[in-house]
Amino acid sequence: MNVIGYGLCVIGAALGIGLASSAVANSMARQPEVQGRLFTVFILASAFIEALCLIGFVVAIM
Amino acid sequence: MGDAFQQVSGEMGELIESFFTTPIFGNSTVGFTVTTFWFLIACIIMLTVFFSYKKSMEGQLVPHGFLANGVEYLVEYVRDDVCKGNLGDTWKEHFPFLATLFFMVMFGDYVGMLPTWKAGTGTTGITGALALMSFLYFIVVGMKKKGVFGYIKSLAPTGLPAPIAAVVWVIEIFSTFLRLITLAVRLFCNMFAGHVAMGVFAIMTTTFIHNMLANLTPASMGLGAMSILWMVLLVLIYVVELLVAFIQAYIFTLLSAVYIQLAEAEGH
Repeated sequence: MNVIGYGLCVIGAALGIGLASSAVANSMARQPEVQGRLFTVFILASAFIEALCLIGFVVAIM
Repeated sequence: MGDAFQQVSGEMGELIESFFTTPIFGNSTVGFTVTTFWFLIACIIMLTVFFSYKKSMEGQLVPHGFLANGVEYLVEYVRDDVCKGNLGDTWKEHFPFLATLFFMVMFGDYVGMLPTWKAGTGTTGITGALALMSFLYFIVVGMKKKGVFGYIKSLAPTGLPAPIAAVVWVIEIFSTFLRLITLAVRLFCNMFAGHVAMGVFAIMTTTFIHNMLANLTPASMGLGAMSILWMVLLVLIYVVELLVAFIQAYIFTLLSAVYIQLAEAEGH
């Protein structure tokens, strides 16, 4: 059960990080000069998403 | 073949058990625990690095050598990217605090990357303490800037009708306290999950090779050959974890800076 729950949790996180990185790749292609700022935003956004996923992981194995 | 997998799952429990902090003396609420010890080691390493940096900079203005340049690069990274990028004019005031947070979290993370050492930030106690400092800091900054009631009032945006403003205010209070929890839990979970992942691959590598040597059959040799794959994955995850340790320190500092900026901002 734990593993199934964690699998569901990963679906959400994967969608989130996928959307975020595709948007960042798009914007970098359009405006290469804002790469630095975009990288910060991307890392921040993925940290928020990843945190949810990791909380799921820790809850699943505890 | 079946008992190899059973062995792995048995060792998994032992592995996860080993990541929970155990008291050296006292108990885990009031006492000196294993994680506290490693965090102390991290702090000692940090102080050694900075004092030797200071010594190497005596009588010269241009940094020479690996240590001086490395320290300078990191400090400038925090200053330019985190402080100046987010805080605007008041960055000078908050830079010492944010840089301290950054280096404490970073050294705490990296201590755990050495084999047999444990991450200083691998327990909710220590990450919670760091998050609490950041939390109190931005609240005090906000209250100094706007006054105690001014800060509490400024959590809700102005120009809303009274009932909606009350609801927004309650939500904002809730989300402010949530910042404390998410800061602590994010760092803890990253460290914990990363170390569990590394540990699992290390266990898989050794168990299958051990099994192959003990009992040489085609099936166990197949599994033993798979160990090379686990080994490669272990190295890859180790590299990712080296990156994650830095990114977590960066994110912790960046979020603290963003919260301070929000606390200082005039009416939003």
